[in-house]
Amino acid sequence: MTELNDAIQVSGLTKIYGARTPTAARAVDHISFAVHVGETFGFLGPNGAGKTTTIGMLTTLSEPTEGTITVMGHDARRDSYAVKEQLGIVPEVSNCYDELSAWDNLIFTARLYGVPRGEREARAAELLKAFGLYEKRHLPTLGFSKGMKRRVTIVMALIHRPRILLLDEPTSGLDVQSVLLIREMMHQLHDAGTTIFLTTHNIEEANQSCQRVAIIHRGKIAAIDSPERLKQSFQSVQAVEVGFNENDRVSCDDLARLPGVTQVREQGDKVRLFTESPGELIPLLVDWARAHKHTFASLNTLGPTLEEVFVKITGLEIATREPEEDLRGGRGKGTGRGK
Amino acid sequence: MNLSPSLTRLQHEATRAWAIAEKDIRIYYAKPPVLMWGIMLPFFMFLSWSVGRNKPTGALIPGLVAITVFFTASSIGPVIIPWEKRVRTFERLLAAPVSLTAVLLGKTLAGLIFGIAVALIPLIVGWIALGAQVTDMLTLGLTLLLAAGAFSSLGVLFSTMPGRDVGSVMMPATLIRWPLLFISGLFIPLGDLGEWGLVVSFISPLTFANDALNGAMGGTAYYTPILNLTMLAAFWGLFVWAGLRLHEWGRRTES
Repeated sequence: MTELNDAIQVSGLTKIYGARTPTAARAVDHISFAVHVGETFGFLGPNGAGKTTTIGMLTTLSEPTEGTITVMGHDARRDSYAVKEQLGIVPEVSNCYDELSAWDNLIFTARLYGVPRGEREARAAELLKAFGLYEKRHLPTLGFSKGMKRRVTIVMALIHRPRILLLDEPTSGLDVQSVLLIREMMHQLHDAGTTIFLTTHNIEEANQSCQRVAIIHRGKIAAIDSPERLKQSFQSVQAVEVGFNENDRVSCDDLARLPGVTQVREQGDKVRLFTESPGELIPLLVDWARAHKHTFASLNTLGPTLEEVFVKITGLEIATREPEEDLRGGRGKGTGRGK
Repeated sequence: MNLSPSLTRLQHEATRAWAIAEKDIRIYYAKPPVLMWGIMLPFFMFLSWSVGRNKPTGALIPGLVAITVFFTASSIGPVIIPWEKRVRTFERLLAAPVSLTAVLLGKTLAGLIFGIAVALIPLIVGWIALGAQVTDMLTLGLTLLLAAGAFSSLGVLFSTMPGRDVGSVMMPATLIRWPLLFISGLFIPLGDLGEWGLVVSFISPLTFANDALNGAMGGTAYYTPILNLTMLAAFWGLFVWAGLRLHEWGRRTES
């Protein structure tokens, strides 16, 4: 038997909403990627890029117009049952049963996924304790905060010990305690060998948690690599960050005229000068400061951040809402959009 | 015990359908739309139908039981499924390793059990306190089971109508249920319907439920019990098939 290297393989995946109508919208356009077994894989993209549509097809809820998806060696179209057994799904909107307690939500999900009767209660108790919900396990989730409901949705996704966990914006809009708990859970699951597919608007989260990230833009994969290699390939967004002493009034326009500076951005009490070669800019900056009688409070060189790479690739700031449903003609979820 | 893969799969599907039905029973039986459309409506309809009729109260019980099981069992699907689509718990079911058939079977079971449970109330009260008779227990039991199954599947079929609000599905569902009620021989006996009336009455599964209950509870049935029960089973099968096809079609067009 050959060893399985890829938990998820996606090839030529395309989704067109209303394919046979004049208003056909191509949400995902021939994307291909693989998620390795045990990897935490980030899926980044601006609003309407096709992230949620892709998740819908990975979970077999939505049928691809073209292309194939293989999950742990099972074809999603031909053997959706086996595919669904491998997946734990945390959708963007928490969808636990509000009328049931956290405990009953878990026991129901365990039954739905065929967890043996003798193991259900032990697993439910273990997960609820790990996520700080055990004390309130018998209360209806209707009265839970957004963060607590999110945690219930996550433990529901974990009750059958899936080999792959799909997380759609897991920390979006949550309190700090819940965010930290969820990130810690992701690290523990990664250490235990679970494959994680994470869509997020929080680029720092992807930077910290993911071995590789794919950036999807207008339905196509724009870049795919480790966060470090992506940053290295975008050296043009390196920067020199400089802080001046309190009494110095410095004009950004003057700084922008220094040779090699591509962009100047004020960042709090500091100024960030973007350049392809910080080593050449620093002596010029020192000379300029001396000539204008300015003194430095701080001077640092900065490599590109993943967020800057993202902005460079997509030309868009990342936002916090996902209006892909508009493409499907469903109800809109929000008005946020890339700036 | 080792079962073949297809039998194991079938067993999984059945146990998961039952888990869905149990969950629905716990969550939705006490929901206001279920109580209003499933219990209050048949009760007041029966009152308006029976008041002033020159018949012993016991003889009205088969009609009441028929109306109750009809409205009650067919109310669960149009409430639960749009509700679950709206709060996205239906997605949770579809994303689990369980077929759409098993999901809909679970919903049908929830309606079937609700229909029988509520219909037993007028049946038992009528039998004990109002002089209703039960002359054929087997036909009565089978009729309740098949009628509740057929009506519950009809409710699941109604739930394929577009819309995620209970009202937008329940209103047209009620508009369809009214004519089915009027042509069923409940208001005008089948023998008085005339040739065309009888032909039209075949469209309504309630015709056969009402007739079979009449026969099983001391009245005179127009058709034989075998025909009534066969027709109810056929309607059940038809509604399950149509509901499944329409839900599959709806999923493809929605996604």
